[in-house]
Amino acid sequence: MIRAQSYAPEGFIALDNSALIYPPTEAKYNANTFRVSMDLKQEIVPQVLELALQKMLERCSYAKVSLHKGFFWYYLSPNHKSPRLYEEGSYPSGRISFKENNGYLFKVLYGKHRIALECFHALTDGSGALVYLKMIVSEYCRLSDIADVTFKGALAFDERPKSQEFSDPFQHLYDKNIPGCPSTGSAYHRKGTGEYDDRVKVISAMVDAQTLRARCKEHGYTITVYLCSVLAMVLQQFQKEEVPKQRKRKPIHLSVPMNLRTIFHFDTMRNFTLFAVPGINPALGEYTFEEILRKIHLDMALSQDPKRIRSQIQRNVGAERHILMRFAPTAIKNPLFKLLSNSLGDDLYSAIISNLGYVEIPKELESSIERMDFYLCPGQINKVSLAVVGFKDKVVINFSSFFNTDTALEREFCRFLMEDGIPVEVSSNRTE
Amino acid sequence: MAYCIQCGVKLEDRARQCPLCQTPVMLPPHMERGESEPLFPQPLPEEGTGGINKTSKGIIELILSLLVVSEITIALTMWYSGNMAHSFIPLFSTAMAALVIAMALVARHTYVAQSSTHIVLVSLYLLGLDATNRHLSWSLIAVGALVLLWIFAVFTTTGKAKAHPVWTALLLVISPLGYVALVNVVIAGSLTWFVPVALPTACVFFLGVGLFSLLFLTRNKTRIPLADIIFFSLIVVFLTFTALDLFMTHYRQVIWRLNWSLSLFSAAIVLMILLGSVSASRRLRRYFTSQHKHD
Repeated sequence: MIRAQSYAPEGFIALDNSALIYPPTEAKYNANTFRVSMDLKQEIVPQVLELALQKMLERCSYAKVSLHKGFFWYYLSPNHKSPRLYEEGSYPSGRISFKENNGYLFKVLYGKHRIALECFHALTDGSGALVYLKMIVSEYCRLSDIADVTFKGALAFDERPKSQEFSDPFQHLYDKNIPGCPSTGSAYHRKGTGEYDDRVKVISAMVDAQTLRARCKEHGYTITVYLCSVLAMVLQQFQKEEVPKQRKRKPIHLSVPMNLRTIFHFDTMRNFTLFAVPGINPALGEYTFEEILRKIHLDMALSQDPKRIRSQIQRNVGAERHILMRFAPTAIKNPLFKLLSNSLGDDLYSAIISNLGYVEIPKELESSIERMDFYLCPGQINKVSLAVVGFKDKVVINFSSFFNTDTALEREFCRFLMEDGIPVEVSSNRTE
Repeated sequence: MAYCIQCGVKLEDRARQCPLCQTPVMLPPHMERGESEPLFPQPLPEEGTGGINKTSKGIIELILSLLVVSEITIALTMWYSGNMAHSFIPLFSTAMAALVIAMALVARHTYVAQSSTHIVLVSLYLLGLDATNRHLSWSLIAVGALVLLWIFAVFTTTGKAKAHPVWTALLLVISPLGYVALVNVVIAGSLTWFVPVALPTACVFFLGVGLFSLLFLTRNKTRIPLADIIFFSLIVVFLTFTALDLFMTHYRQVIWRLNWSLSLFSAAIVLMILLGSVSASRRLRRYFTSQHKHD
C-alpha cells in the first residue's frame, strides 16, 4: 500500500478525494448539501445549543475550517471565527452561503423542538455529520439536565482526536497497480411535470420499522435493497409510460452511497463514501418486483466487494493525481468540472437513495427524542432524491424535490409500500 | 388523525389535503381539525433563491478563463511585433465578445432582459471602438440609433409602457426628433439644420399623421379600407417631402420655393387621383378587391 505524503504547507488542509468535486460544482440546483436532525420533546434553548456546538468544535477542531480557492485546488484552512446558529426556515438542504456563515461548511439550526445540522459535502458525508449531530445533541442534553449520555458511534469529548479522524482514507487505500473501474453509461431520467425552482419541497414518509423489517425478511432482502427495488419498480413504470418502445428504454440505475467505514474499518470524520450503482435494464423486458429485488441485491453485493471498491478508488485518486489535473489551474479545472460533472456523475443514475442506517438512541433519551430526519439536496438532472434513516421503532423516508406540484414519484412509492402491507404516515412542507 | 381516501396513507392532524395526491381531507361536521406541529415552519418562501445553474456557471467560467489566456496571447503578440500602440481594438473586441456570451447566460431569459443587455453591450463596444482616438464621433450616431431601436422594439413591449400609453406615445414622438438633433450636433457641432429644416418637417409629418388618425378614429365604420390607408399615407409622405424640400431650400438659398419635390408632386397627383377615386367610388373599390369578384 502506498501512503500519500502531504506536501501541503501549514494552514492548508487538502480536500479529501471525494470532496474535490463539490466546491467547483456548487450552483443553483446543485447545493451539494444534506441535513440530519433530531427532534426533542423539550423546547430548544439556543444559548445552550450554542455552548454544545462550541464544545463539539473544541473536540472536533477539524470541522472548524473554511473553504478557499487556491491556484491549483480548493483547500480548507482553520477558521477562527465563531459559528453562527440559525433559526430553522421552511425548507431544508438549501445552498449554504459561506460568507454569511462565517466561512463554516456546516450550519446548526434550531426549531422549536429540533436540532439540525446542515452540511456542505466537502466537509464530511452523512455518517460524519451524524457523529457531529450526536455529539451536539448529547452535549445539549447534558447541559439541559435532560440526560448525561453518549450516543453509540459518537466521539468521546474527553479523548484526544486520533489522526485517522482527519486523514483522507482514499489516499491510504490508493494503489496505482490496480486497474481502474469502468464507468456505466447514461441512465433514464424522469422529466417530471410542471414547474420547478430551487426550494426543496419535502414529503416525509414514516413507516414502522418492525413492519418494514418483517416484510423485507419475507422477501429475503435487506431494507436498503427493498427500498431501492421499490424505487426502481416505480421508475420502471414511469419509463414504460413515457417510452412506449421497449428497445428505446434506458437503464434505470440508482446511486446508493456506501459507508466505507464499515468495510475498511477506518474511523475518519471526512468523506469516506463511494456509490454503488445497482439497476435494471428495462430495454430487456419488464421486470417483476422479485426480479428487481434479486438484481439489486446482486449489484449491491458486487459493489460492496472491497477489491472492486479499491478499483473505484484507484480510478478516482488516479484522476486526481494525473499530471494534467495536478498542474492545471483552478480557473481552468473549475469550469470543466462543472461542465463534465453531469456526464460523469448525475447522468449515470436515475435517482439517488441514501440510507443512513439505524441510529441507536441511548435508553435514557428514548423518551426525549421524538423524531429523526435525514434530507438530501436534489440535483438538476434528478430532481427528486430519497434519504432514509431509522430510529427507535420508526424508519423515515424523506423525499426532497425541486418540483412545485409534481408528486407522482412520491405517490407511487408510498402506494407501493401500502399495497405491500406497510402502512405509511405522510407529512410535508408543501402547500399545494 | 386523518387518512387519505385515495392513497390510504395516514396524514398529519393539521393536513387539509394529501400531499401525495392533493385529495382534500373532509372531516365530519362535529369533528375539528387537529393542530399538530408542522414538519417545517410554514409557509414556504414565495420564490427560489435565484442564481445560475451549474452548466451556465461552467460556461461563464470557461469563457473568462479563455478570455484571460487570449488577452495575454494577443498582448504578447502585439508587443513582440512592435504594434502595441494598436493593441486596444483586438484586446477590447475579444473582451467584449466574451462579455456578450457571458451576459447572455447571466441575464434573465426574457425578450426584454436579453435584448436590453445586448443593446447596452453593443453600444459599449461601439463607444469603445470609437474612443480609440479619444474623441467620440460616429459611435454617438450608432448608439443613438440603438437607443431608438430599444425604445421602439423593446420598451413598448414592457408592462410600464402598456401602463402609461400617453407617455409612451409622447416618447415615441420625441425620441426620433431627439435622435435627429443628436445627428445634427455630432455632424455639425451644433444645432444647425435641425431647427429650420428637421423640426418643421417633423411637425408637418406628425400633424398629417395626427389629422388622419383623428379622421379614422371618428369614423363610424370599424374596418378601414386598405385603399384609404394607402391613400392617406401617401398624402402624409408627399406632404412631408414637399415640406422638407421647402424648408431645405429656404435654409440653403433663403427663398421660399419648391425644387425637386415638384416632379415628385406631379407623380403623386396622378397616384392620388387614382386612389382618391378608388376611395370615393364603391364600384371602383369592388373592382380592385378580391372578395367581391367582378364578372
